[in-house]
Amino acid sequence: MLKLLIFPAMALVIVMAFVLPSPMNPQISLGPVDAYRIFYFHVPAAWVAALSFVVGMFQSISYLRTKDADYDRKALAANRLGIVFATIFAKMTWGEFWNWSEIREVSLFILLLIYGGYFALRSALNDDDVRASFSAVMTIIFTVSALFLIFVLPRIYPAFSQHPSDTIVDNQGKMSLSPMVAIVFGLSMVTYTALYFWLYDITIRVDRYIYKLKSER
Amino acid sequence: MPTVSVSWAGKITTVFRKEMLSEFRTRYAFNAIIMFSLVTLTVVSFSLGINRPGPEVMAALFWIILFFAAASGLAQVFVKEEESHTAGFLRLYAPATAVLIGKIIFNLFLLICMTVLLVPLYIILLDTIPQNFILFTIGLLLGIIGLAGSTTIIAAIVSRASIKGALFAVLSFPVLLPLLVAAIEITLVSFTGGDFAAAGSALQLLLAYDVVMLTLSIMLFDFVWQL
Repeated sequence: MLKLLIFPAMALVIVMAFVLPSPMNPQISLGPVDAYRIFYFHVPAAWVAALSFVVGMFQSISYLRTKDADYDRKALAANRLGIVFATIFAKMTWGEFWNWSEIREVSLFILLLIYGGYFALRSALNDDDVRASFSAVMTIIFTVSALFLIFVLPRIYPAFSQHPSDTIVDNQGKMSLSPMVAIVFGLSMVTYTALYFWLYDITIRVDRYIYKLKSER
Repeated sequence: MPTVSVSWAGKITTVFRKEMLSEFRTRYAFNAIIMFSLVTLTVVSFSLGINRPGPEVMAALFWIILFFAAASGLAQVFVKEEESHTAGFLRLYAPATAVLIGKIIFNLFLLICMTVLLVPLYIILLDTIPQNFILFTIGLLLGIIGLAGSTTIIAAIVSRASIKGALFAVLSFPVLLPLLVAAIEITLVSFTGGDFAAAGSALQLLLAYDVVMLTLSIMLFDFVWQL
């Protein structure tokens, strides 16, 4: 059902992203204003990558509480999709590929490292139960340490961010997007989230069939 | 254990003593950590030559040496149990939490030995004297506690895997990243002679990290140890 809604919504978002004026105010933009149209796609993608991480942690906790192998499959699916959505952005307007003072870029890079470690661990363990428990434990440890990074580090390093900070919410805490841009942006967020859960569902179902085939053999 | 009535602290002490005994028969982890830190320190001081970069770089180098030396030996506490097939006996003797705490204390002991040797050599070879020595020591201690506290459970996870050494470094790096950043900050302040107020937020972060990670590993260790 979900996919019937996702396709027209995504198509609408893509078209509107080019039809609407750029979300960036030309007076304060650093480079080509049109480059900021990436806003409609890259903010939702980053959001889904972080969401996937949280979903993975909750499934891991559920696994440790119930020892039901289905939760392990769900956690695996969440992490698998997380690594697809976690992408590294280098915008041409910045003039450089990498910047360590850019805290959002760094935290996403660490997210990638964590996913890499997770899959390295899974491939190194042979026993099913051991693999499921250990990767669940590791996911929880990773999440707690990532929480430290995401919430605490930007306060220690009030480093300047190359992401414009007043695009969505301005200094007075009011929405600074024009209403039309806000609607399309909101639609894009919802569509990405729906797309995520659709893929999540498919991945789990495929894993269940693989598991069933293996146990019948 | 109905027949053995040893107190909680007694079991932790026994696990720690057993670690010390078996370690000093072979001195494997001890030698690995000490030699690795010496070699890295030598490489760093050779490659710097007579150049002296600023205190920011020196503080970062100090913690890089410490991190990699720790990664070379800390996994050994659980790996050796799997290799000699003694983990089952340890499970019979002591509850999971006592095993974990005993091993964390042992890893902490290894790290303290390493820093006692490393810090004077670092000061001599790299000609960098901490201006605020008390802050330096406190930052170092908090950092080492966090290092031992969060990597010991990773050592237990890695000990059952097929590629142990590489996996240990891969898994512990993202976990230790907040610790490294805060510890480097504190060391930098101590190198430049700042007071405690200057390193206040980093000290708070480091302390919170230590407490959270220790609690988390004690809570989660049951799931790793009982399989």
